[in-house]
Amino acid sequence: MTQKIPKKEVKIDISDGAAIPVRKDLGLFNAWWMTFFGAIGIIIYLCAVKPDPYWRILKFLPDGILVTFQVTILSILLSLVLGLITGLGRLSRNRLINLIASTYVEVIRGIPLLVQLFYIYYALGRIELFKDLPPLAAAVVAMGICYGAYMGEVFRAGIDSIDKGQTEAARSLGFNRAQTMTLVILPQAWRTILPPVGNEFIALLKDSSLVSILAVSDLLRRGREFASESFLYFEAYTMVALVYLVVTLFLSKAVSKMEQRLNYYERD
Amino acid sequence: MSGTRPTIEISNICKSFGQLHALKNVSLSVDTGEKVVIIGPSGSGKSTLLRSINRLETIDSGTIIVNGQDIYASGSDINVIRQELGMVFQSFNIFPHKTVLGNLIMAPMKLKKVPAQDAKKQALNLLRKVGIQEKADVYPSMLSGGQQQRVAIARALAMNPKIMLFDEPTSALDPEMIGEVLDVMVTLAKEGMTMVVVTHEMGFAREVADRIIFMDHGQIVETGTPEHFFTSPEHPRTQKFLSQIL
Repeated sequence: MTQKIPKKEVKIDISDGAAIPVRKDLGLFNAWWMTFFGAIGIIIYLCAVKPDPYWRILKFLPDGILVTFQVTILSILLSLVLGLITGLGRLSRNRLINLIASTYVEVIRGIPLLVQLFYIYYALGRIELFKDLPPLAAAVVAMGICYGAYMGEVFRAGIDSIDKGQTEAARSLGFNRAQTMTLVILPQAWRTILPPVGNEFIALLKDSSLVSILAVSDLLRRGREFASESFLYFEAYTMVALVYLVVTLFLSKAVSKMEQRLNYYERD
Repeated sequence: MSGTRPTIEISNICKSFGQLHALKNVSLSVDTGEKVVIIGPSGSGKSTLLRSINRLETIDSGTIIVNGQDIYASGSDINVIRQELGMVFQSFNIFPHKTVLGNLIMAPMKLKKVPAQDAKKQALNLLRKVGIQEKADVYPSMLSGGQQQRVAIARALAMNPKIMLFDEPTSALDPEMIGEVLDVMVTLAKEGMTMVVVTHEMGFAREVADRIIFMDHGQIVETGTPEHFFTSPEHPRTQKFLSQIL
């Protein structure tokens, strides 16, 4: 009886972020609970049974976790801005803009992240204005530029997934292109974009461990510092890995909750 | 047919999609208050013609004057012209992220700077007119196709357009919902709205049209009153089409 608006089911799956649990996907749900509480359980067990060195390591890490979050959040914000611009650029009918956006994506996708990090870090160092840029800022710029290219693809696909009729309806009411994009297309595209953005966020959090190379004391670097002083490499990296795991799992849960929220107008 | 200056004046427009000539030298004028119904087989160019009136299609040559403005001229602001041209689509194209009320007040508030209070009042009046005032705060996914299309009509009317364009408004509906949408359109016609309607609903055409245009292969084949069309169509192609559809 009820006729629904024709809609395309779109799922963008391009990143290597942790799998975001879907409500229907019970298997994954169980896997999530097992891994999450398993990891926490092991941390508690290790700290209780062998407080030295495990509890000492755990107390040593929080500064690094904070830096990791700082790098991740700032980088994701920068990459969202760059991604939106790139995505719109890739959809632009202006050939020059289109070419610039596409070239950016191609260049970034073709260079390993670690190489980009080194390159941008030292390239920025050569520019007078950025000479005294703190390592953290340089790391954020590098991560943001890199992830902006991936984010651009997410935005492009998300915007592309909205039915052309929506644009036509908005334009026929008298909205210009920019208004159509901000009032009609993006609010809808956001639902399609959010899951992959969440995935990118988690992937970025993991990749942010690369910035430890650039004298940024993130989680991994803190672990390394502890290890090099105490020579307890195995123990230090065990804790680092477990902390990354817990954080990543927690975030994937948060993203899936947010995703459910965003579906409010699809309730039947 | 008030005899005033035509509201829409289409002169010699041509349009092709690659090899296909969608419109071949089509001319048509619509007077203020006139109801023109365009019929014809699919692929005859009727939707393309309608969509070119508010520049949803570009044309290759010819001119279209709407309310005295050449809509394809480089100097004219299409966004302003479109505010006077309400458009209803086959696939409704309701904004799913807004409530019914939100769909109706968005354009008046953003484009005409109508205060929220006034926009809401007008929207509720329009919803009453199309018979779904009780659905104001509901999201479109909860509505039937017929209800969505009535919301789409109300949304277009919220901009107080001078002309309404309908592109097969009932073609995507279940049969039992066609009536409710046509009723709204008939009411609108009786109120004197200038309307151009592409449809397959011959009953509607017979009841409402001042003039029926029959198109085939990108050209206007025959024009006439409903009586003429349904009793003594002249062109063999028209006769064939009507015999198949009636």
